[in-house]
Amino acid sequence: MQSRFRKGTLWAAAALSGGMLLAGCGTTTSAPASGPAKTKSPTAEISIGTLYASTGSFATSSMPEYQGLQFWINQVNASGGTYVKAAGKKEKIRLVSYNDQSSAQTATSLYNQLITVNHVNMLVADFGSVLTSVAVPIAQEHKQLLFDQSGTGTTFFTPNNPYIVLTSLPTSALWPTSLANYLISQHYKNVAIVYCENDFDQSQDQTLTRLLAKAGITPTYNNAVPTSTSSYTVILHNMAATHPQAVIELGYPNNDISFMQALQASGSTFPTTFTIFPGQLPSLFEKNFGMKGLNNMFTYPAPPLFTVQGVNYGMPIAQFAQAFKKQTGSSPNFLNVAGYNTGLILQKTLATATSLSQKSLRQAVTGFSGSITTLDGKFQINNQGAQIGETLPVGQFTVSNGKLKVNFMS
Amino acid sequence: MSTFLFAVVSGILFGVFFSLMAIGLNFAFGVMKIVNLAHGDFVMLGAFGAYYALSTFGINPFATMIMEIVVFLVVGVGLYYGIIPRLLRSDDPEMLSLILFFGISQVIEALATLAFGTNPVTLPTNALGQLSFQLFGQAFESSWVISFLVSVVAIGLLYVYLYKTKMGIATRAIMANRDEAAASGIDVNRISAIAFGIALVLAAIAGTLTPFMLGGIYPSVGVNLTITSFSIIVIGSLGNPIGTVVGGLVYGLSLLLMQTYLSSWANMVPYVLLILILLIKPSGLLGKGARNA
Repeated sequence: MQSRFRKGTLWAAAALSGGMLLAGCGTTTSAPASGPAKTKSPTAEISIGTLYASTGSFATSSMPEYQGLQFWINQVNASGGTYVKAAGKKEKIRLVSYNDQSSAQTATSLYNQLITVNHVNMLVADFGSVLTSVAVPIAQEHKQLLFDQSGTGTTFFTPNNPYIVLTSLPTSALWPTSLANYLISQHYKNVAIVYCENDFDQSQDQTLTRLLAKAGITPTYNNAVPTSTSSYTVILHNMAATHPQAVIELGYPNNDISFMQALQASGSTFPTTFTIFPGQLPSLFEKNFGMKGLNNMFTYPAPPLFTVQGVNYGMPIAQFAQAFKKQTGSSPNFLNVAGYNTGLILQKTLATATSLSQKSLRQAVTGFSGSITTLDGKFQINNQGAQIGETLPVGQFTVSNGKLKVNFMS
Repeated sequence: MSTFLFAVVSGILFGVFFSLMAIGLNFAFGVMKIVNLAHGDFVMLGAFGAYYALSTFGINPFATMIMEIVVFLVVGVGLYYGIIPRLLRSDDPEMLSLILFFGISQVIEALATLAFGTNPVTLPTNALGQLSFQLFGQAFESSWVISFLVSVVAIGLLYVYLYKTKMGIATRAIMANRDEAAASGIDVNRISAIAFGIALVLAAIAGTLTPFMLGGIYPSVGVNLTITSFSIIVIGSLGNPIGTVVGGLVYGLSLLLMQTYLSSWANMVPYVLLILILLIKPSGLLGKGARNA
């Protein structure tokens, strides 16, 4: 029995990991469909390699971001391609993409495959810090510039790594600035924070607690939970026991949903309750909790919940929303905007770089940093590649005349 | 102190629910010596059934539960006759079952993704009732208490089936020795088919309660639920349904105490317990070196 069981356990582990790997290796190409490139070609077409997660805990965020990138490629190819300065002409884009199924392990081998087998011209990371974290060292090792869409963890950006550029969100270290300012302005003394254990949320927690400490505020509760946490009731009970004036939950969409469900079930209310993703995926949260559930919730509103002024590159938000809906049949959310914005940065890079070498691409990004404003905000990176031009305000959802509105607090 | 008591009571409520979630997996293993790696996916399907019944047609989760009991029983019996007799005729059914059910798990997840999308969905926790439950001066969610009670009843009914009915006695005979049970005139296939159906029914009942206990549900959550269930039955004792109750309680208490006092390590609980049990008592807490009915 014992040996059979142990044998069975080993089989189960092997079957699970093998299956995950096989399932993740399904190659898809799109717009136009063709096989993966074997060598880098500066003249035929531009190959862009990326990963997406069609299943798993990051699918909610990864798929819309991927959709946004696909939208950009379709737009570019429909207009005959994008101008590539290195070739002196317009070239079409070929997307090489694989499904990492939200698994960082699967993503590791697939990022390697994009670089060493597919030899893509430009490498784009999957959504978020968890799935980007494994790409950073791989890209650095292969001296391939990583266009990091939304992996904002501060540890990715180091002085000795020029092979990373954050495109569509500010680095996590900047996110909580507006939130901290708001909490300080309210003269709160009791703040309770729960954050997920990943670069994205940990960076935010560190920045938030540092800024609060400067104002003499020490959180009464500040604990980490695994990113896979799905039940927050006990955690919320423990937070409530500290009688907080503000309850801050820093997680990914699945965490925010579970947290809000626990909040709704407990019937607890606090003067300020903050979660990140309702501002980026409002329709998803409205579907789960209704307007009533979102009423008074604080969040980081992002386009299209607000309109960036002074757009000088790519479509402004209204035009994008119209074109996106025409092409996909659905209204865009922030992650669609983020994916499209990544495309715009790739486009500008190709239009600026004098060659397709990775160093030249990076120099090109540095060159136009600070000079373009897209529908996502001002694109500006620091010398480590971290995005510092965009800002995220704090907003509060309110229901007015049967409609969900956002009041901006900062 | 109040935090500790809240964690302990919550751990017991969760533990019994986890027992229900895992007991079907153990029951199927006990009777057929197969490991249903798609067990968590059936739990997931039960959860989505509850979600769509309520959100689309306004059907109460208890009514959905009754409908799912019928549907999953039929599916379980059909699935048994479709694949398991062939599997059991192979040289190593235990090993092959892992591969086969892993494949079924992947198919279910893929189909569920197509059908339900990738976004997590939730149900309002008051859908199970709005009674408040007070113990030791602490308020507990009514959905937890109701899930606990439903779990106790379901596990109790399984016990009654196994020990107080003719079919249950026949089932235990098969669990003890399939060949001898067949030789004594028991219709092994019929009894096993019903057992597999019951295993899926238990998964469906747990699934109906899952949105209220575990938060958002999504198609790929099944793998996590299978891993959790697998850990619980190993902790208790593989092949022993009563051991699953003990395993569930140990798991639930450990998880919620960890969430309270060392939250960042909470999700390591099933794996740490699994390793400890395999090292110290490989047959499980209630294991006696032989499978018990």
